[in-house]
Amino acid sequence: MRRTALVGRRVVRQLLHNPRFLVLSIVAPLVIVYFLKIFFDTLPPMVDADRYVVPVAAFIVHFLAFILCAIALVQERTAGTMERMFINGFRRIEIIGGYLLGFLGLATFQAVVGLAEAIWLFELDYEAGVLATLFAVVWLLAIASVMLGIFVSTFARRESQVFPFIPLIAFPSVFLSGLLMDPEELPGWAELLGQAFPVFYANEVIQEMIEPGGTLGDVWVNFAVLACYGVALLLLASLTLREAE
Amino acid sequence: MDAIEVEGLVKRYGKRIEALRGVDLSVRKGEVFGLVGPNGAGKTTLIKALVGTLRPSGGRARVLGLDPLRDRPELRRTIGYMPQSLALYDDLSAKDNVEFFGAAHGVPDLRSRVREILELTELTPRAGDQIHTFSGGMRRRVSLACALVHRPEVLFLDEPTAAVDPQLRSQLWKTFRELARGGATLFISTHLMDEAMLCDRVAVLRHGRIIASDEPRRILERGRVRLLIRRGEREEERVIGGRPEDLAEALRSYGLTRDVTAVDVRTDSLETVVLSIIEEER
Repeated sequence: MRRTALVGRRVVRQLLHNPRFLVLSIVAPLVIVYFLKIFFDTLPPMVDADRYVVPVAAFIVHFLAFILCAIALVQERTAGTMERMFINGFRRIEIIGGYLLGFLGLATFQAVVGLAEAIWLFELDYEAGVLATLFAVVWLLAIASVMLGIFVSTFARRESQVFPFIPLIAFPSVFLSGLLMDPEELPGWAELLGQAFPVFYANEVIQEMIEPGGTLGDVWVNFAVLACYGVALLLLASLTLREAE
Repeated sequence: MDAIEVEGLVKRYGKRIEALRGVDLSVRKGEVFGLVGPNGAGKTTLIKALVGTLRPSGGRARVLGLDPLRDRPELRRTIGYMPQSLALYDDLSAKDNVEFFGAAHGVPDLRSRVREILELTELTPRAGDQIHTFSGGMRRRVSLACALVHRPEVLFLDEPTAAVDPQLRSQLWKTFRELARGGATLFISTHLMDEAMLCDRVAVLRHGRIIASDEPRRILERGRVRLLIRRGEREEERVIGGRPEDLAEALRSYGLTRDVTAVDVRTDSLETVVLSIIEEER
């Protein structure tokens, strides 16, 4: 536990020493949500923007948290500091847990600003309870994204090997996870495939909560799956992270 | 018990590449041991196998009697490693880097230990600056400091003096000697033959095999010595063996008389000796 905190503190310190990276990773979701706004403004008024706004904001947070974390970890491998951590006695679960801790703050901040901006720009009028649930689900998604980034990075030895994973994660999340349509209308296999991505579960919860009269009671399973998704990836990543070649 | 024992160590990558082809060596405690060889000889592979980040395909390695892979947790408390890539966090300060690896070991009284180690590696004036502002030589010192902070018993240094200016090189060697005097065992890889002369013992690695392993002086003795004797205008040259006894014998046979006006002894460099050993191997 002590060494996990150590890694977490070090990751945070590195983030704080990189103001450019930090500002970009906060500004990027803000700008993209704004693009979303001007995009929806061009559509005819009968398009129900509400159905898309929060899920897309959630996806943006997911995507950024995933990439930033994956790249940070691969850099650790290429710089040789990963090997050095192992030789200095860090265990795999401690390194992964530390990264999760370190990126949690950033992911939380991204979730808050992304969601807040979307709600403000689109003048979404949700009750406090709904807002809290929406935030909770975006936050859980952000954690799962950080874990997904860590997991994917264990398969890459260089930065260039991370890039092929990005479309593999991003496009199915957009087209199969119900972000743009009802996933039940997809062919059976595609619907199943969509369920492999964390955005699917976040979207299910969001769609229910923004319906008038929607309650968490009907979708709590998705909520739980999302939480388990993060934990499962944590365990998986601690198995796939190579300590010796 | 020796500090490091290696028997028949083999590392294969796929079917075609054999990075180590049966390496045997032993390093005594408190020794400065040099692993000498050209680029691509397998030096880094051997070091990685000894620090437990590489799984050998065969053979056996022990460091302080421990198996580098199986006994990882115990071993890692007692070894220090400075990789060739230096492995530092560029966006952290020198102090933060050293502190991070020190804290990993739970070094008691960490702050004063970090101060001490930064002093030893002459980094105190720049301790608070981020690594990306450092020169190559300073980065090397930070990397060394990170490897030393937990007072390891065995230190693995992978090409610690590659691309380092002569002044810093001699400073680093002074530090290495100090550490050995303090009881540490140092395992240093280098591709520079003249550095091998600074070690207590060396092993010459080539194509994944040890082709010579001894005190550097003894390896030199395997070379040839050219003896030049001038008598007045006349100059004679003779090739003799590399042992001190060979020289004495040659001089005796010449009979050093008044007419000898100059004697010159030209010894092969370690590099030449090693190259001729390689020739013999063929």
